[in-house]
Amino acid sequence: MSRAAQVLVIGVGNRMRSDDAAGLEVIDRLRALPREQLGPAVRLCEHEGEGLGLLAIWESTAAVVLVDAIEGASQPGSLVRIDASTEPVPASARSGSSTHAVGVVEAIELARALGRLPARVVLCGVVGARFEAGERLSAHVRGAIPALTEMVLAEVSGLGGGVPPGAGGQA
Amino acid sequence: MSAAGPGGREGPITRVIRTDYLARVEGEGAMYVRLEGRSVAEVKLRIYEPPRFFEALLRGRAFTEAPDITARICGICPIAYQMSSVRAMEDACEVAIDHGPLRDLRRLIYCGEWIESHSLHVYMLHAPDFLGYAGAIEMARDHREIVEQGLQMKKAGNSVMALVGGREVHPINIRVGGFYRTPTRAELQTLSEPLQGALQTALATVRWAAALPFPDVQREHELLALSEPGSYAVDLGEIRSAGGLEFGPGAFDEHVVEEHVERSNALHARLSDGGTYLVGPLARYALSSQLLRPLAAEAAREAGLGPSCANPFRSIVVRAVELVHACEEALAIIERYEEPDAPAVEVTPRASVGHGATEAPRGLLYHRYEIDEQGTILDAKIVPPTSQNQLAIEEDLRAVVEDSLDLPDERLALRCEQAIRNHDPCISCATHFLKLTVERG
Repeated sequence: MSRAAQVLVIGVGNRMRSDDAAGLEVIDRLRALPREQLGPAVRLCEHEGEGLGLLAIWESTAAVVLVDAIEGASQPGSLVRIDASTEPVPASARSGSSTHAVGVVEAIELARALGRLPARVVLCGVVGARFEAGERLSAHVRGAIPALTEMVLAEVSGLGGGVPPGAGGQA
Repeated sequence: MSAAGPGGREGPITRVIRTDYLARVEGEGAMYVRLEGRSVAEVKLRIYEPPRFFEALLRGRAFTEAPDITARICGICPIAYQMSSVRAMEDACEVAIDHGPLRDLRRLIYCGEWIESHSLHVYMLHAPDFLGYAGAIEMARDHREIVEQGLQMKKAGNSVMALVGGREVHPINIRVGGFYRTPTRAELQTLSEPLQGALQTALATVRWAAALPFPDVQREHELLALSEPGSYAVDLGEIRSAGGLEFGPGAFDEHVVEEHVERSNALHARLSDGGTYLVGPLARYALSSQLLRPLAAEAAREAGLGPSCANPFRSIVVRAVELVHACEEALAIIERYEEPDAPAVEVTPRASVGHGATEAPRGLLYHRYEIDEQGTILDAKIVPPTSQNQLAIEEDLRAVVEDSLDLPDERLALRCEQAIRNHDPCISCATHFLKLTVERG
């Protein structure tokens, strides 16, 4: 386990798929923070959500926070937190970016089946309103990005990276 | 999935099979089959087409922006979109990068994308069809080694993409005229070890795939692919067909017509004589199998593939052979690589129209741009492989249904899904939701 990447935060999505860009927007915000707020053990990356690629990227990482748009029945803009470390991801939480046959949820379950799941895997999601081709987030999702960023920061802090939210700077 | 209506005693009775989500194809879409008695009355594969959005988005943008914008169309094959776009822009500006280290680097990163995309399809999407699993997760529990092989291949492809493309996802190092930064020889050498490992895995994969149980199906499609003398064409060449057509990318619009179909936002491509055609691994293999690198050619022979393969179910073997070829090709490029004097050649815009065609993992990908003297894009046209294959896939579906009328609905629906997956449709390039419906009447 590399000391340089104790917590890997993966923003999943496509900037040309409307609300699917939510996870990438969060990564943009985290990158804009003072580096000390994230701490040296946190690594940020973007991914379009193809499952085998995710397995390759999080290999030998102890803790992963996935940030993604969720296609769901609840109100667009609602935040969702799923701890996938020990329990299967509920089928109801299908990721909006999984226009791929092996998407984020499948990657998690595939890794679990192979014994390749990082010790901690937390999915921070926001329920999207639309996923068609387009460059803009819906108002619901845009309004939820600050809270989603705070949620990710809290998760990172709890996993041993960064400092608790509110202890310095703002998301 | 739902089913309605058993077979009838008198007169045609309708059977309906409906699947709301077609698994294990990239993206989502819809399929509909209607049977009248024992005859197939209608087959429709319905897809929607985001490239129209990107074509509109490109208008008014600088010609230098096309590779980065079009790379966003598909997360699986961004290099293909970048390569067809830079080829088209260079064509418009009368610049040719057809040999030397810049060309080699382009082909190298393209090999990386073939390795990544084919690995995903062979091990994760197609293998479960032959081993009898609903998907990769279920398969992984019993056949861990297959998924591990896929992961190893994927990582080898990733390493090429990360080094040459600047990062693993949505590469940022490709530009009109070449690259922003070219790797040193020593940097490229670091790819040798993972690619040697991938080559051995790919060879084993051909042997494994060749022994899978295949239905005895022969489909005679007109086949269209790039062709380059002395090379299994990837990033450059003329377009040829098995039936004797031969034309440059600049004449694509004369030979291929796109038509709107009521059921779909997509444009369906046909040859100008009205015929349907197939692009992708089976087409490439039929037109260029004699130009495979030595280990790939030997693996193909041992696998029992002749000079062409007309059984779409065996496309998994052809993809595995292309995996071998891509690894060999990448290793050969790394071996002979000399660092270029400059990472890119200068490209000065001029008012013109440019065409670019390259071989995406799923087949021929055509771009055409009209730009003005400042390099502003006035018009853009993108024809992805899945749009071109749509009608040929419908023909395969019709044949599969006719051959499998006596199967119960659920198994028939699965057979239809398999017939679609044979062609690895990248529906994320060309659609949003795939639903499967079979009606029997």
